[in-house]
Amino acid sequence: MTPPRGEGAFAALRNVLEARAPGAWELYRKSADSRELDASAALRRQSARHEEGWAARWSESGSLRFAAATGPDELRLALDEAAAIPSAPEEPPDWPGPPAKAAKAVAPTAVASPTEPPELFDALASALSSASRGEARLVGLSMRRGRVEERIGNAAGLDVAQAQTSLDGLATASARRGARAHESRLFFRCDASPSPTEPDVNALARRLADAATLPLSDRPTPFSSGQWLLDPSVAAALLATLAPALRSKRPPRRAGTGPASIPVRIVDDATKDAPFDGEGVPTRRVVLFDGGEWTGRLEDLRSAKRSGRQPTGHGVRPSFRTPPRAAPRRLFFEASDPSPAAALLARVKRGLFASAVTAPVRVDLDRDRYEIEFTGISVVGGRAQGEVGGARAVGRVSELLRRIAGAAEDRQFFALPFLVGSPTLLIERASFE
Amino acid sequence: MLLHCTRVHWDEAGISRWLEPLAARPGELAEVFGESLRETSLSWRDGEIRDLAVRRENGVGARWRSGSEERFVFVPGVGESSVRDAVRSLRAAAGRSALPIRPSRGDEDGEEHPPTAEADRWVRRLLGTFSRHAPRHRFRFRLRTTERRIVSPGRPQAVSLRRLLSVEGRFTAASRLGDEERAFAFHAPDSEATADELRAALSAAATPRDRPAEVPEGEHDVILAEGCAAVLFHEILSHPLEAGGDGSPLDALAGARVAAAELDVSDDPRRLDLFGGYEADDEGTSPRAVRLVHAGVLAGRLTDRAHGGASGSTGHGRRAGASEPPLPRGSNVVVAAGSATPDEMTRRLQAGLWIEEFRGGSVDLAAGSFRLHFPRARRVRRGALSDELGPGWIAGSLVDTLRRIEPVASRRVRVCRALGWCAREGQVVPVQGESPDILIRRVAVKAER
Repeated sequence: MTPPRGEGAFAALRNVLEARAPGAWELYRKSADSRELDASAALRRQSARHEEGWAARWSESGSLRFAAATGPDELRLALDEAAAIPSAPEEPPDWPGPPAKAAKAVAPTAVASPTEPPELFDALASALSSASRGEARLVGLSMRRGRVEERIGNAAGLDVAQAQTSLDGLATASARRGARAHESRLFFRCDASPSPTEPDVNALARRLADAATLPLSDRPTPFSSGQWLLDPSVAAALLATLAPALRSKRPPRRAGTGPASIPVRIVDDATKDAPFDGEGVPTRRVVLFDGGEWTGRLEDLRSAKRSGRQPTGHGVRPSFRTPPRAAPRRLFFEASDPSPAAALLARVKRGLFASAVTAPVRVDLDRDRYEIEFTGISVVGGRAQGEVGGARAVGRVSELLRRIAGAAEDRQFFALPFLVGSPTLLIERASFE
Repeated sequence: MLLHCTRVHWDEAGISRWLEPLAARPGELAEVFGESLRETSLSWRDGEIRDLAVRRENGVGARWRSGSEERFVFVPGVGESSVRDAVRSLRAAAGRSALPIRPSRGDEDGEEHPPTAEADRWVRRLLGTFSRHAPRHRFRFRLRTTERRIVSPGRPQAVSLRRLLSVEGRFTAASRLGDEERAFAFHAPDSEATADELRAALSAAATPRDRPAEVPEGEHDVILAEGCAAVLFHEILSHPLEAGGDGSPLDALAGARVAAAELDVSDDPRRLDLFGGYEADDEGTSPRAVRLVHAGVLAGRLTDRAHGGASGSTGHGRRAGASEPPLPRGSNVVVAAGSATPDEMTRRLQAGLWIEEFRGGSVDLAAGSFRLHFPRARRVRRGALSDELGPGWIAGSLVDTLRRIEPVASRRVRVCRALGWCAREGQVVPVQGESPDILIRRVAVKAER
């Protein structure tokens, strides 16, 4: 007998799960198509992928279990395997029912199959060479255009579907000056709704050129402390590392001194991206940090059940292979009174502009410490003085947030891997090594 | 341990015929790669199992390559219809005649088999091990079985079957000045001896220690002991010698003396007792051991079919899964034993650091530098082990570090079970290695604050 596929398989698995865990199950299906173009001097690879993923969570013998597979038949086998292993008791989450006000789901059929991503290697190579005055060359460029369809059903009667398209890329540049060489990588996502547009090649080239060539300078930081201007990519990398605090049971240390002292909020708002999270909870805007106080946290169904709060629509599935967990979806600094980036630069009397990070940002929220290694430019009197090959800023996370003195209008989003956005930020005082 | 090949049944001759038009011209290669993966993962928290997850994945990747042009197609499933879909799309992408559509014979993803009891057996074994040696713990356990099958015209079909076990996490150990939290990682192929080896590793990791002092920063002479030098050689030799990389400082040094004549380092995928071993690589090539440094001379490179040239692939074409094309990757770094005893090594060091484990590392090929994180070290004073030291980094230039390795190594070689997974270009593959204790002069050390 040919097993049911697609629509029929979804219905059949709902029945299997209801029989196995009456009133306590969730079924997820993901179907993804992507086209990828990898280009380098030595290789041009075109890839086409069609991926299918099925996942189930259910409560059996008093504990919550998870199984995932690439097909409905495999998922049935995985259910049996997962049920055979004893596990600690856990109450199932409160599965959400059908949305009260029909959330605007994107009908999967309305989204076209992905086409080939744009061929930008030559254009970016040329722009990079020009932006770096010939010091940097493009080593590789991968562009990927994808479409994802998701369907989520559960024992409470939820059955929602949504679709998303994306265009993202990874550029690698290498620069050499004398005996010194450096390679930099830049992930980017073309962020536009309803369909992604092509990236700004010149802006990409400038960012890559800075990240590849500035570390070649052998000039250390001329200041041990001063003002600190953070490029949007650096500020976003820092914000991304704060993500664990946003879903922590224990909020981070108090950061502010007064409601009006910090000109930015930290917000997560993916309402433009998808109507639901990976558990079928409607997406909504959550203000996480405002006026110097931590004001909210991200909740998925499990964490909401444990904490007694409401889920916030942040049950994220990076892949069908893993159960959803509370995580940011589109996290960003939101400026209350943004100013032009040039105006922020003019406010720097003596300090450093951090153009790119040169190592993963390290944050220890328990100890309230951060450490950022970066490359950039020294600034005196609002004017660039010279390259700084490598510097390290260290200090307390709580003080860093409290010392944000200004934010620009140039907010950009980066895939880290979830979307993180930041404008240029001015930090009033920081310590450098 | 005998593993039965159960999931992937292919008509090799038929698939070869479908691929033949893609490999008819000189320099062309075409292949189909199928993978069936089963994984059980769970978290252990103080003896309780949580976050249980079972994963079953089937996929087929088909690839065509000619010179600098490559086409790659991935589809889910591992039955004949999935292979046919993949090859049909590949032939279209490569501009070749279409593969006729034929109704599926209904074989789909092979036979259904009862759930494996392996994961359950391991859970029962580990319950005792953890409660005895590390009763307060947060470990992640993963047992992964992969069956891979590769068909390429003009080559024999290759099958590779592996079951790998990983335990990673933190536990609370008694130290002389109170409890302390320690990291633990253990990666090994599933075998009769694995449970005993894991027990011994956990027992050693739980040994009482003094509270660590901060690592003194600056240049120090360092002994890398207990096999952890394999991590160093993985970073400073395996990665730079993976073909297809761009701009490695070792590119221009082929055949040059880069280290003391006593140093022999190989990459050997045939070592199935190590985590990175395999009988056939992910292009279907039987692997061979490659001497990376032989008698101090830079000797070989790790290649796949696309980069093998006249001498052919060394059997290092590896993929994270069926949805990825192969890349030349290292597997098991094997460093030849020397003749010194541990006492001779410390006497020779006189003063410096003794490091037994690394937790993560990276290499920047363009800059020619590396850095490795160590969670703890011991100070060596007057040729004897003394204070416990806290976490830090060692870093340096690849070429300088090779030159600073002393022409002495211990006679005892240890497997580094903490080394298990390696990521490059987003693809994570199992790796491992073994090494004697080695001594390196003037290594830059930085404390982690």
